[in-house]
Amino acid sequence: MFDASTFTQALPLIMKASQMTIFVSVIGLMLGFVIAILVAAACLSPSAGLRRCGNFYTFLFRGVPLLVQLMLAYYFLPTLGINVSPLTAAIAAISLCEGAYLGEILRGGFLGIPRGQIEAAQMMGLSPAHTLLRIQVPQALKLTTPSLINEMILLIKASALISVVGVAEITRTAQNVAASTFRPLEAYLIAGLAYMLINGVLSLLGHYAEQRFGRA
Amino acid sequence: MPVDFSLISQYGGQILDGFGITILSWVGAVALGMAVGFVIAVLQLFTGRWVRAVLRVYIEVLRTTPFLVQLFILYYGGPNFGVSLSALDAGIVSLALYGSAYFAEIFRSGFLSVPQGQLEAADCLGLSRISTIWRVQLPQMLVIITPALINMIIILSKETSVLSIITVPELTAVLTQIGSEQFIYVETTLVLCVCYLILVAVTQKLGGWAEQKASRYLQR
Amino acid sequence: MTIPTNPQATGELLIETRDITKRYGDNLVLDGISLGVRKSEVICIIGPSGSGKSTLLRSLAFLEHYDSGDVLIEGRLLGYVDQDAGRRKATPAEIKDVRRHVGMVFQHFNLWPHMTALGNVAEALIRVKKLPRSQAHDKARAMLAKVGLADKADAYPVRLSGGQQQRVAIARALAMEPHIMLFDEPTSALDPELVGEVLQVMKDLARDGMTMVVVTHEMGFAAQVADRVLFIDQGKIAASGPPAELFRNVRHERLKQFLQNYLDRNAFWEQ
Repeated sequence: MFDASTFTQALPLIMKASQMTIFVSVIGLMLGFVIAILVAAACLSPSAGLRRCGNFYTFLFRGVPLLVQLMLAYYFLPTLGINVSPLTAAIAAISLCEGAYLGEILRGGFLGIPRGQIEAAQMMGLSPAHTLLRIQVPQALKLTTPSLINEMILLIKASALISVVGVAEITRTAQNVAASTFRPLEAYLIAGLAYMLINGVLSLLGHYAEQRFGRA
Repeated sequence: MPVDFSLISQYGGQILDGFGITILSWVGAVALGMAVGFVIAVLQLFTGRWVRAVLRVYIEVLRTTPFLVQLFILYYGGPNFGVSLSALDAGIVSLALYGSAYFAEIFRSGFLSVPQGQLEAADCLGLSRISTIWRVQLPQMLVIITPALINMIIILSKETSVLSIITVPELTAVLTQIGSEQFIYVETTLVLCVCYLILVAVTQKLGGWAEQKASRYLQR
Repeated sequence: MTIPTNPQATGELLIETRDITKRYGDNLVLDGISLGVRKSEVICIIGPSGSGKSTLLRSLAFLEHYDSGDVLIEGRLLGYVDQDAGRRKATPAEIKDVRRHVGMVFQHFNLWPHMTALGNVAEALIRVKKLPRSQAHDKARAMLAKVGLADKADAYPVRLSGGQQQRVAIARALAMEPHIMLFDEPTSALDPELVGEVLQVMKDLARDGMTMVVVTHEMGFAAQVADRVLFIDQGKIAASGPPAELFRNVRHERLKQFLQNYLDRNAFWEQ
């Protein structure tokens, strides 16, 4: 039932693929964070129109499954004339999706900042953009660090879906190994172990962050 | 760029079938997953260290690995240890097990939220374990955990799209197939997006209604 | 002994309000308040809680949006723009422009906790006045020295006492070289023994000729430093005048009641 040799064959390949998984997740988180700042600011804006935009974005990108968003980016964009590599399409889709989830987290973070600090910034003449970037975001970041690390864990898992568009991350590599060795069980078990390892480390980071920064 | 929806109406029947499969796998996974999750949560309360440790491992493994990988293990790897399921069966079972880990955590936090004193009172009055769970803890838990349950149910509804990868003919599979056959990717993916958005919106509305009913039943 | 303030309080009118009102739902918080503040004047606003004094002060900065009447800062209408067609709300840029020379100190300091004292004071110098970093930092250090906190420049607010935090807040507002300083109960959130150091900074400011409007419960400060005291009750200026006149020959009944509370605790006026 079990073929240990597959493990030894697959191990180096999966380890290499892990780099791609981590890379895509990190980029997705960073780009998503930038989008999230805009989304959260929009959702909390005094302008009703901006609020509607922010809420609609969140509804859209959290309502449609990530798989569908990926396919949209991969199959749809070329028909518009935009030709991008599978990796770029994947990162774009993931970032836009993450922007919605991170936006909700950041929104909570912004709400945790005492209003008086914003008033002080206004009285000092700081523009809304400066207030956002220099006062609100740094503090929201600290407040929400545990939640952000949790998002990262979810992102690592979600990245498995980009195997569908052909990016050579962990799951895709496992599929290749399964195809060439005819031992899908071992191949996917190794893939699972790789994810568990990565997420385990992130979990530890999360616990550490929770102790340092408190719950978000 | 002209968008043509007329071709899609030709496939109306197929799309509805696909939608049906989506709903079927979703409801099946939620029902099975909540049941298993509930049992796990109860077991965690009443069993010894070793059983709890095993259950902990189960939960952690299912929560730290991608659903897709779990699905592959069950469907493609299953035959290697004697489990041969059809794509739909494998999909529902795998989604249910994935959900059960999250439901178990939700139910566990629900159990922990009921004040200890009430359990002691029930014990003193002679209520059996099962009665205590069913009549004392569950009703009060529901108020607190309903939002989390609804949230997980919505997450599972979106995860059903992943079943398309192992060729279960649910909504995503059907519409992408139509899209590639007729080269109308734009229209099909738009319809796909709208379908899921409607599904999520309706579930959220029903969920909000359920939350209201739950909190009316119990004054806090 | 009265600390000499600027006796020449006949300068230009820096702040003027004409019959301003403000409603919260059914509650009329400001009921037609008209006042004027001249250059280098120190005005103290006192009154029972809920009387509208904080709302009045915040309206001078348009942190509360008054409903009718005019608030004029250095002769310019704040918060609204009067056109032929009527009055419209001013854009954020217009508001910012009119209140450019107004500085505010808050009851809860509102320092930005993720920046050092120096960072707090220098932030607006860098972002708004567009000073180069080193220049901004020099200016910030000078301001901190002025409030007696030169050695705390690199401390984070969480490490500072309440009195020190409030002094940093004052330095932060002063760094922008305001013509008017508004103080919203600056010592109410402080432990009693820390109140003195903040009041001293404010007294020094007054002596140097700053135009100040202070909402406060510190009657001693009002008596010693204010040119005029305004007693607000139920949204109106119930009584006003120089502190000696107001506190010694109390005619208004509510003011009498109000002052009695303080008299019972400490005789606050000295000659």
